[in-house]
Amino acid sequence: MSAAAFTGSGVTDIDAAKVRGAGSNVHFDKVVVAYGSHVVLHPLTLDIAPGEILAMIGPSGSGKTTALRAVAGFVRPASGRIRIGATDVTDLPPYERGLGMVVQNYALFPHMRVEDNVAFGLRAQGADKALIGERVKDALATVGMSAYARRYPRELSGGQQQRVAIARALAVRPRVLLLDEPLSALDAQIRRNMVEEIARLHRSLPGLTILYVTHDQTEALTLADKIAIMRDGRVCSHGPTTDLYRRPPNRFTAEFLGRANLLPVTVAEAAGPKGFATARHGDAVLTGAARDEKAGDKSLLCIRPQHLSLTADSEHTNRIVGTLREVHWQGELTHLVLDVDGTPMRVSATKLPVALPERGASVPLFFSPADTSLLPEDAGV
Amino acid sequence: MLVWSRSGRLVIWVFFALIFGVLFLAPLAVILLSSLADQWNGVLPSGLTTEHYTDVARGAAWNSVKASFITGFLASALALVSGTWAALSLRLQGAALKRLLGLLFFIPSAVPSVSVGLGLLVAFSHPPLLLNGTIAIVMIAHFVLISAFTFGNVSAGLARLSPDFEQVASSLGARPAYRLWHVTLPLLAPYLVAAFGLSFALSMGELGATVMVYPPGWVTLPVSIFSLTDRGDIFAGAALTMILVAATLILLLGLERITARATGS
Amino acid sequence: MPPAALLALLFFYPLALIIRQAFLDDSGVANAAEIIRVLHSRFFLNALVNTVTISVAATAGCLIVGLVLALILAFVPFPGSGFIARLIDTFIALPTFLVTLAFTFLYGSAGMLNSGLMETFSLPAPPVDFLYSTWGVVLAEVTVYTPFILRPLLAAFSLVDRGQIEAASVLGARPLRIVRQVILPAAVPALIAGGSLCLLLTVNEFGIVLFIGAKGVITLPLLIYGKAIQESAYQVACIIATINIALSLGLFGLYRLAAGRLGA
Repeated sequence: MSAAAFTGSGVTDIDAAKVRGAGSNVHFDKVVVAYGSHVVLHPLTLDIAPGEILAMIGPSGSGKTTALRAVAGFVRPASGRIRIGATDVTDLPPYERGLGMVVQNYALFPHMRVEDNVAFGLRAQGADKALIGERVKDALATVGMSAYARRYPRELSGGQQQRVAIARALAVRPRVLLLDEPLSALDAQIRRNMVEEIARLHRSLPGLTILYVTHDQTEALTLADKIAIMRDGRVCSHGPTTDLYRRPPNRFTAEFLGRANLLPVTVAEAAGPKGFATARHGDAVLTGAARDEKAGDKSLLCIRPQHLSLTADSEHTNRIVGTLREVHWQGELTHLVLDVDGTPMRVSATKLPVALPERGASVPLFFSPADTSLLPEDAGV
Repeated sequence: MLVWSRSGRLVIWVFFALIFGVLFLAPLAVILLSSLADQWNGVLPSGLTTEHYTDVARGAAWNSVKASFITGFLASALALVSGTWAALSLRLQGAALKRLLGLLFFIPSAVPSVSVGLGLLVAFSHPPLLLNGTIAIVMIAHFVLISAFTFGNVSAGLARLSPDFEQVASSLGARPAYRLWHVTLPLLAPYLVAAFGLSFALSMGELGATVMVYPPGWVTLPVSIFSLTDRGDIFAGAALTMILVAATLILLLGLERITARATGS
Repeated sequence: MPPAALLALLFFYPLALIIRQAFLDDSGVANAAEIIRVLHSRFFLNALVNTVTISVAATAGCLIVGLVLALILAFVPFPGSGFIARLIDTFIALPTFLVTLAFTFLYGSAGMLNSGLMETFSLPAPPVDFLYSTWGVVLAEVTVYTPFILRPLLAAFSLVDRGQIEAASVLGARPLRIVRQVILPAAVPALIAGGSLCLLLTVNEFGIVLFIGAKGVITLPLLIYGKAIQESAYQVACIIATINIALSLGLFGLYRLAAGRLGA
């Protein structure tokens, strides 16, 4: 990776300073998108900070791609404004927005060599030859494709095509990079590598603002500074990635982002100064991280499968008992399913007791209050 | 995969060869043979000669080769421009208008060519649009008849073109004209070439409208072939037909080559 | 939109004038009685019957031949069958009268077939004499228009699941049964679309009929040509053209409907 070269200190590189520090923020201001009477995006208000990777995730039809296309200028909002940096781009055509875009099937121009693909945006904008040459070289070096400059897209593998597509978007020094399901056409193995590469790329181009649309939670968790979870055309939750994972604000978020066990509880005692409340599930008294739950509230206690343990240690002050239903050994991990008064609890364990209990046996589960989160019981957003 | 026994397959293949031979191969072979035939009174010609071709190359027939090529080229070029333009601008229209106009562009292909010729005669035989007796009216007839095919081919190409290409181009800063010239048209090139080739071939073989409108000095190949055979000079007619077939095939194969190389498929 | 304007001037305007001219006699005076006379005339009715007969018979022939050839090409393939399919495809681009000319050499009174039969059996007169009749035209049109059936059929057959056929074979179904129950249902839309296109094209066919030049075989397009060019009877030509165009547009509508169903 010669991303340092790309971010640029060359003498001819007049925008280098502008780019290095200079991703722009994106601001959605009550953006509504509708096709006829069918509203696909309800008033959306959202900010992406300069240099931030925001992952929009959600099931298909949740409006995430529509939001990206509204930024790109392919979808016109019925109302609301979109700003990139200081510019209100709502009424600007796509070619005046200064963006870079990478789509699922790469859309490399098949009749152009790799270098011409990468040069496309700069040529279209009428940049001068010397600058184009240098930028193309830098962009290809950034994605490690310098050796393929003279090839045609059809001579490249899927992963290589995707790198070229990224280089093509980077060569124009975009204010915002839009990635629309960029990895979903790739094999699982290559996809994992590409996720890591995009992460590296962003570390070397810290100023680049990225809007990353995906339905894959692993990509989002790996890459994003912040995540917005979309559902039915609305933002269902939005926040820093780790917060959203550790303290999901609602059931949909908990279940969409990673796997979650949701144990119904009744709050016994509201949270103290450390933020932990006491809740009851049957006879068990459990401690969980709380927001503003009051005593008597029905609530759900969210515990991730990897935080449940069959063996106790000093942190694991919570204990519930379930009936062991299923055991699936998968090499690195063993997945167990227990039944706790009708609620299935999934456990992903790396450590198992020396004598594994029989199916049907009563098994105690231990977990730490720090790994839990109380969330409202209603299924809605 | 449908017939598993070897003998069964053989019987079916012989049957196929019979149909194919009688319907498709025999006509082509016999035209080729007759264009080279010296005298033909029995089952097979009594001798072979290239005389018909040299006659054709010397005589007035050469002018009809020229007339057909020029007519085909100009009419196809005009149809290509007009069809591409129509298909591209139709994309921007609403669904209902698109359907209606799309249908209208196809209608010329459904009307009998003789009627197209008759219509042009009726419409352009009086001032201010006096075209009857000019070469232009032949071009117009051919243009009208092939325009639907170019429009259809280009529309089909556009429909298969993923919108991603143009959208990515826009987002990278390409204005509409730049995008059209550097992205849309190159991606459509295979369809444009195919459309041009098919139009050219159709124009070369056009007879119905041409016999209605052609002026004395502009006799196209098919008209010329017809008058030769009508006079009983069927060997010369066959030679001229072979030239027409060869020109058409070379054109189609050549264009296919170019397209294959350009798109690398 | 300039292309639309161009087409309107060069095509739709002349088309409208044909219809107007059908109501005016050749000196430009309104004369609707001529229409009635033409519609009842022998030459018109004769041509109409010929046109429809030839068109229906040729389309039926195309459907049968096309189906048989497509079945073999798709399901009993042989080395080179792909090339053969493309060769047949190029017939679409060749002039239609070529086949007629070839048939003259093959089946004409002095053609190969008749000469051969006369030599072999010492016959005094040519025994085969179908070329200068309706059937000669039909056979020529079958040759010319079969590719229009073959093309959509091969496309439809390429989508038939090979596994389904193999499964049926394993279960003991005979080839004819598989064709009837698995393959044909998949081919019906293509047959309907291709068949209606054939009807349209055969109704409009001119070159084949002109080249065969049989006295008794006059179709509508040939009649229009004869009336306009040889007799300079423009009103009559326009009346017949109007009817021919109406018939063609009706068939075109049918084809679009069928092709729309097919999703083409």
